[in-house]
Amino acid sequence: MNTYRLILLAFLYTALSSCDNDDDNIVTDNEFVIENPATYTFERDGMSTVSFSGQTTRIQMAEEIISALKDNSRTEAELLSMFNHMENDADFADADLNSSDKNVSSKTAASFDYFNSNATEASTIVAEFEDYIQDQVNEVFPAWNNLAAAGVPGQIADGSSTRYVNAQGLEYNQAFNKHLIGALMVDQALNNYLSPGVLDEADNIANNDMGIPATDKPYTTMEHKWDEAYGYLYGTAADLSNPNATIGQDDNFLNKYLGRVEGDTDFAGIADDIYQAFKLGRAAIVAGDYDTRDEQADIIQDRISEVIAIRAVYYLQQGKLAIQNGDMGPAFHDLSEGYGFIKSLRFTRNTTTGNTYFTGQQVDDLINDLMGDGANGFWDVTPATLDALSETIAQPFAFTVAQAAN
Amino acid sequence: MKRIFSSLFLLGLIVLSCTESDDSSDTTGTTNDNFDRQAMLVYWADQLIVPGYTELSQEAQDLDDALVAFQNSVNQTTLDNLRAAYVNANLAFQNVAMYNIGPAESLDLRARLNTYPVDVTQLMANLSAGNANLALPSNRDTQGFPALDYLLYAGDDSQVLARFSTDTDATLAMDYLQQVVLAISDLCDDVLDEWTTNYRDNFVAATSSSATGSVDQLVNDFMFYYEKNLRAGKVGIPAGVFSSQPLPDTVESLYEANGKRYLLESLDAVQGFFNGNGTNSLAGYLDTLNAQKNGADLSQLINDQFDTARTQITSLQADLSNQVSTDNMSMLMAYDELQRNVVLMKVDMFSALSINVDFVDADGD
Repeated sequence: MNTYRLILLAFLYTALSSCDNDDDNIVTDNEFVIENPATYTFERDGMSTVSFSGQTTRIQMAEEIISALKDNSRTEAELLSMFNHMENDADFADADLNSSDKNVSSKTAASFDYFNSNATEASTIVAEFEDYIQDQVNEVFPAWNNLAAAGVPGQIADGSSTRYVNAQGLEYNQAFNKHLIGALMVDQALNNYLSPGVLDEADNIANNDMGIPATDKPYTTMEHKWDEAYGYLYGTAADLSNPNATIGQDDNFLNKYLGRVEGDTDFAGIADDIYQAFKLGRAAIVAGDYDTRDEQADIIQDRISEVIAIRAVYYLQQGKLAIQNGDMGPAFHDLSEGYGFIKSLRFTRNTTTGNTYFTGQQVDDLINDLMGDGANGFWDVTPATLDALSETIAQPFAFTVAQAAN
Repeated sequence: MKRIFSSLFLLGLIVLSCTESDDSSDTTGTTNDNFDRQAMLVYWADQLIVPGYTELSQEAQDLDDALVAFQNSVNQTTLDNLRAAYVNANLAFQNVAMYNIGPAESLDLRARLNTYPVDVTQLMANLSAGNANLALPSNRDTQGFPALDYLLYAGDDSQVLARFSTDTDATLAMDYLQQVVLAISDLCDDVLDEWTTNYRDNFVAATSSSATGSVDQLVNDFMFYYEKNLRAGKVGIPAGVFSSQPLPDTVESLYEANGKRYLLESLDAVQGFFNGNGTNSLAGYLDTLNAQKNGADLSQLINDQFDTARTQITSLQADLSNQVSTDNMSMLMAYDELQRNVVLMKVDMFSALSINVDFVDADGD
């Protein structure tokens, strides 16, 4: 593409954008008229067409699991049953979750684009989550009332909190929590429900063009798929149609960490970018404008991928500062979160290539570097290693390590 | 063109940082601001900190002695004496609680002596099991003064005496009481020993004005203590400032019901540290720099605000839990007066002294 075409495109883009800004509600894109509502509210024949209760359920199940991982009275069997829940098994405190036929594990590393024909890697990733559970029960729970030391699992003070770590200083509950953000929420939203392979599956386009709802449902299948992506980010929001009012406060997963990135002045506005893209993309589906839909999907995929990478770098840098101050408890807590976010990089999506920013092998290499400065993992990791990892993670993105670091 | 600009900008940065490091790389004890930082450190160490730990260590020894008398004969007199020794040791602790540096930091002194509210369930589990490992972080809220507050004051006098004499678990209770008291006196002795043998000299020698200098570190510790332990822990948290409703059970001294006494002692200690002997102190430093705000001396504004807060706190009931339950508005007013000095110190004083705040609110997860 030559320079003139680039300039022309830029000009066109600017012109189009300013057209958009002239009217908040109506976006005119050639033959399509998109009615972009003020909040994520869509109706057909007076009935709401927005539905993502399955995502809300899975977030709530995941919340109970990460809480139970910190309860040393739990058994391995109980925790694995929570992860692999079957309908009507009494795995959860919330009876509604027990009666659900959904579970966390079946949607872990299970997106159409990344894992549909990649069952080997998918099963390896699911096994990693089961390993976190088993290792927590078998390594850390028996050491619950020991003091941790290099090569010795147990507890360590982090400010007024007490953290429980394995022999390498890793908190399995944090690894599970932050790895799941990628493997469940990000993977399902970015690589499944926002993918044309899912949105346009079978006769979805024809049915959506004609406004034919799914069987016994108020929504078309395509509308519903888009909403399911939305639900993995906003499924437990206080106001489901206006979720940014409480962004960061609604779960311990993707919502929480989008809130954290939004709170960094270097990235303020990212939460609105993502929400507006979800809303406009959904409105574009109603209008049958699939180009605009896919442009919005790209924005969401870009920015959510960035959230994962920013938090990975953030925790590595915070861990580095704590190590330099000799505060191992706070350092291990940060690095355990960083460990999970690095694992989550596998599920990011580069919209130029349509594939991940970091392959499974590259993520393994990062983790090996993080844990490999000595025999005892976090007890031995050096500031130089943490800086090098931070640079490697930030490199393909538009942000700098310094921007992500605080 | 752009490259030239960035080069110029970079050059500017280099020049700036050179200037700054000229200011701060001084290690001889005096800086360009003509204030004798080393004299202040010596004053802090020799007139405030070491005497404070000496006093605490003596009070902890008295607590030991009172415990032995109580063990020999459980009666109202020995209980009264043990309680009096507890109160004195706790008051002595309030005077050094802010110095979370050196051995106090590495031994986790403040958290082990005064994490409240006490976890009664865990305390009773430890008591029943015997030989608890009080060095575990998860046992911080089952030991120290809040554990003594519970063991020596929960219930009426006859119940407390029965706890250590006729109850089924009386022997276990006495063993646990002894374990808690000995842990307090051992910790206090260890911190004092390390200060007098090694740490004092290192402390007064680290005169640089940088994140690793003693002035910067201790002033940060002072600020952290004032903000998190005094303002929030003793007042704000029970008053419900950080929650949806007041939390009267989270006060210090819940069972003795005398939280105001410790709060006032703590406030006096903080203001005493701020003023020192006038010259060798934060107030003296600010005056040397002629630090002003709105046309008034900053040191005076801070002292006035301490006094205003003290007046409000003095008007509270001795029992802060009851205060929160019956008239939380007065507690909230005390919080507001304390909070005003956070601004004057953490913003204006830190800025005047060119000290960076080295703590932030935790991630919360």
